[in-house]
Amino acid sequence: MAQFKEVSPNAPASEKLLNWVDNRFPLSKLFEDHMSRYYAAKNLNFWYFFGALSLLVLVIQIVTGIFLVMHYKPDANLAFGSVEYIMRDVPWGWLVRYMHSTGASAFFVVVYLHMFRGLIYGSYRKPRELVWVFGCAIFLVLMAEAFMGYLLPWGQMSYWGAQVIVNLFAAIPFIGPDLALLIRGDFVVGDATLNRFFSFHVIAVPLVLLGLVVAHIIALHEVGSNNPDGIEIKANLDKNGVPVDGIPFHPYYTVHDIFGVSVFLTVFSAIVFFAPEFGGYFLEYNNFIPADPFKTPLHIAPVWYFTPYYSMLRAITTEMMYVLILCVVLGALVAVVKIRMPSFLKPVVLVAAAGLVATMLAIDAKFWGVVVMGGAVIILFFLPWLDFSPVKSIRYRPSWHKYMYAIFVINFVILAYLGVQPPSPIGERVSQVGTLFYFGFFLLMPWWSTIGEPKPVPQRVTFAAH
Amino acid sequence: MSDTQVDSSKRTWLIASSCAGVVGGAFTAVPFVSSFQPSEKAKAAGAAVEADVSALKPGEKITVEWRGKPVWIVRRTPEQLAALKGLDPQLADPKSERKPAEFTPEYALNPHRSIKEEFLVVVGICTHLGCSPSDKFQAGPQPSLPDDWQGGFFCPCHGSTFDMAGRVYKNKPAPDNLEVPPHMYLSDTRLLIGEDKKA
Amino acid sequence: MTILRTSYRLLWSLVASCALLSGAAHAAGGDTIAWDKAPKKTNDLAALQNGAKLFVNYCLNCHSAAFMRYNRLTDIGLTEQQIKDNLLFTTDKIGETMVSNFNPKHAKEWFGGVPPDLTVIARSRAAFGKGSGPDYLYTYLRTYYPDDTKATGWNNLAFPNVGMPHVLWELQGTRKPVYDVKQEHGQEVKVFKGWEQLTPGTMSPLEYDQAMGDLVAYLQWMGEPAQNTRTRVGVGVLLFLALLTVFTWRLNAAFWKEIK
Repeated sequence: MAQFKEVSPNAPASEKLLNWVDNRFPLSKLFEDHMSRYYAAKNLNFWYFFGALSLLVLVIQIVTGIFLVMHYKPDANLAFGSVEYIMRDVPWGWLVRYMHSTGASAFFVVVYLHMFRGLIYGSYRKPRELVWVFGCAIFLVLMAEAFMGYLLPWGQMSYWGAQVIVNLFAAIPFIGPDLALLIRGDFVVGDATLNRFFSFHVIAVPLVLLGLVVAHIIALHEVGSNNPDGIEIKANLDKNGVPVDGIPFHPYYTVHDIFGVSVFLTVFSAIVFFAPEFGGYFLEYNNFIPADPFKTPLHIAPVWYFTPYYSMLRAITTEMMYVLILCVVLGALVAVVKIRMPSFLKPVVLVAAAGLVATMLAIDAKFWGVVVMGGAVIILFFLPWLDFSPVKSIRYRPSWHKYMYAIFVINFVILAYLGVQPPSPIGERVSQVGTLFYFGFFLLMPWWSTIGEPKPVPQRVTFAAH
Repeated sequence: MSDTQVDSSKRTWLIASSCAGVVGGAFTAVPFVSSFQPSEKAKAAGAAVEADVSALKPGEKITVEWRGKPVWIVRRTPEQLAALKGLDPQLADPKSERKPAEFTPEYALNPHRSIKEEFLVVVGICTHLGCSPSDKFQAGPQPSLPDDWQGGFFCPCHGSTFDMAGRVYKNKPAPDNLEVPPHMYLSDTRLLIGEDKKA
Repeated sequence: MTILRTSYRLLWSLVASCALLSGAAHAAGGDTIAWDKAPKKTNDLAALQNGAKLFVNYCLNCHSAAFMRYNRLTDIGLTEQQIKDNLLFTTDKIGETMVSNFNPKHAKEWFGGVPPDLTVIARSRAAFGKGSGPDYLYTYLRTYYPDDTKATGWNNLAFPNVGMPHVLWELQGTRKPVYDVKQEHGQEVKVFKGWEQLTPGTMSPLEYDQAMGDLVAYLQWMGEPAQNTRTRVGVGVLLFLALLTVFTWRLNAAFWKEIK
């Protein structure tokens, strides 16, 4: 037998039990490594609640989801009725349903705020690139999960939203139509689609999501959390090897997060009990009409959390393609002239750009809309390698960077708003400008993040005693 | 602030929050556990069923479905009713004393185990492991039955036998008499299975 | 925390005002009239019961409410006996759902389509910027007018060219819309001014409006029978959570006092 720890025979039973377990499973060690001896900076602020809240919402969705599946019927003829059955005939079914629908929107609110924290404090920078990459993967998988879940109530929005999005895949050249057929399992969205989306939504994607969340947290704990000052607390250890600016996660942040959870549950419950439809944004009006393959609603829009990307999709018209081609040409020229690269690469870049322009002219704007929409999410993965600022946190960046981030947020919200509205000429122009700004923010970051004088970064974190 | 003061305020709020948390947790669990209970749809489907026996002749049986189970209504002949009294020594529970709350409501605690003497109303499920017994109303020797058979039911799964009042014979796998479901007469020829006057 | 709450409120008011603005832009030059506000009567049991009576007598002939069980009407203060005696038309079992006996084949032949199920109609008819589902229904039920260019002989200001006839015409009587003709951008535009009663109904306009308010309240309640329980339980839940938040706030403060 390996090194067994012994405790005195006079020890209390609980200690003996814990020792028995610890000799066979690293329970106490896990607790110490991840809670009581995991050190985080003491100045974590409001923006640091949202990771724990994301975990809470994940648990809420899984638990409410389990109870919904007990009564839901994944059959095109029975699905809509089964949801009303849950709302009316199942004792407290209405509460479980509202918690799940509100939880879906809450998940995105919390995740967007969580990502924003990463953005402003440089939490994605070395050595935390992998934490960020796992996080982006979670975001992508979450969008898939929400999209598939939304088909399940089999309302008009469910049906037509799925029809539109799956048809986007059909826009891919050569393989598109077959791919769409494969996804749907039929020539149009129907019972076959519903059944497989049910399987994905209930078990396949949640398992992937759970795996990614575990990887995300393990990666984080390996390098330690960032903080609003962007200082690496591990660079300043005391004689015991504990960061001088660090405090153990348990009990200080467990207690802090419990408070955050209370506040969140209050807001969450206010919505669940008093405004579950949330003005038609969390539960859409059209979805109270059973799906009708012969009648498209006048105005289809995706759920609010997809609308920024939907705006970008709609912005890519034939006209916009010329603007994008211009951007590709300019980009290639600037790259060849300004960026240091081995001289044999320069003609490669120009030829690649020419090839890209040729394909952009050859293939419909519809396809490029899909590429842009997908690209808007994929570009997030590359953020750690686009940011060249010498300082991590917005606090010590040149002041004008704050305006860049503010405009980014406002732009994102405007794109979201435009995505909800029906198309209009002004809306189209604004979303085109907005799309260009969104991509410019990231693609030009290697350049603009270095402009300006950063402020001196302190050695110790800024903290005011409570 | 001294250490003990800080510690005691931590303890106070820890206890307060934990108590509130446990109470909150319990209140949250209630709706989820309640959702396990039969839904309105299940309750509606399990509602009482009417049966009309005006066309039933002596010696005949009709079957009605209630809560997914077969309920037999048998119109017994005078010979079948007369034979009931003499069978007591051969039966495991002739006076239905074993588990009356489960199998025999008080209006069936009589020699004919029914409200009206002629009509037997029982759930057609063997009290052993749930098969549905076959009708063996004909008296006299038959395969798998004793020579002095007076009519009743025979369960093909494990051989349990019941008399024309649904009472189980001794030394058979089934421990109890056939269940008499809650029922009442709406008129001389109309029964309501699933509800009785108590409910 | 206040930052979160303010941000939520700010974002919500931004969204709401944008929706209203865009909606106003639509309604001003829209093809249907603006919607009246439905009176709020979902806590008035008498109104709901009257609405249920109107629904069962006038609507259930053609429309189903296939997810609404008759015995749920006990929630609005009726006894099972009252329901059985007065409201049980399409079935004899009180646990059954309100399914109309109208044959869908006949519906298609006579009206060109199957009348939609009304169980959640009040939740599905809202439109951003125009009003809620009940607002629409309240307006729709009161803006029918005779139109002999239509197969049914009826048209409707809130739902032009609707395939449904005015089943409540005996109560309301017949009336026609009156327009003012205005010059706008060099074109003649008809602006809705009011109604002219052609034949009287058994109810006065005020009585009819009140009856329609009751019917719409019933439809709104039927769309979500748990709504009154929901808000009631919600008050308790929020009070509890407010208390819990105070406790966890003080708990947090007690621990963080020692961090320098």
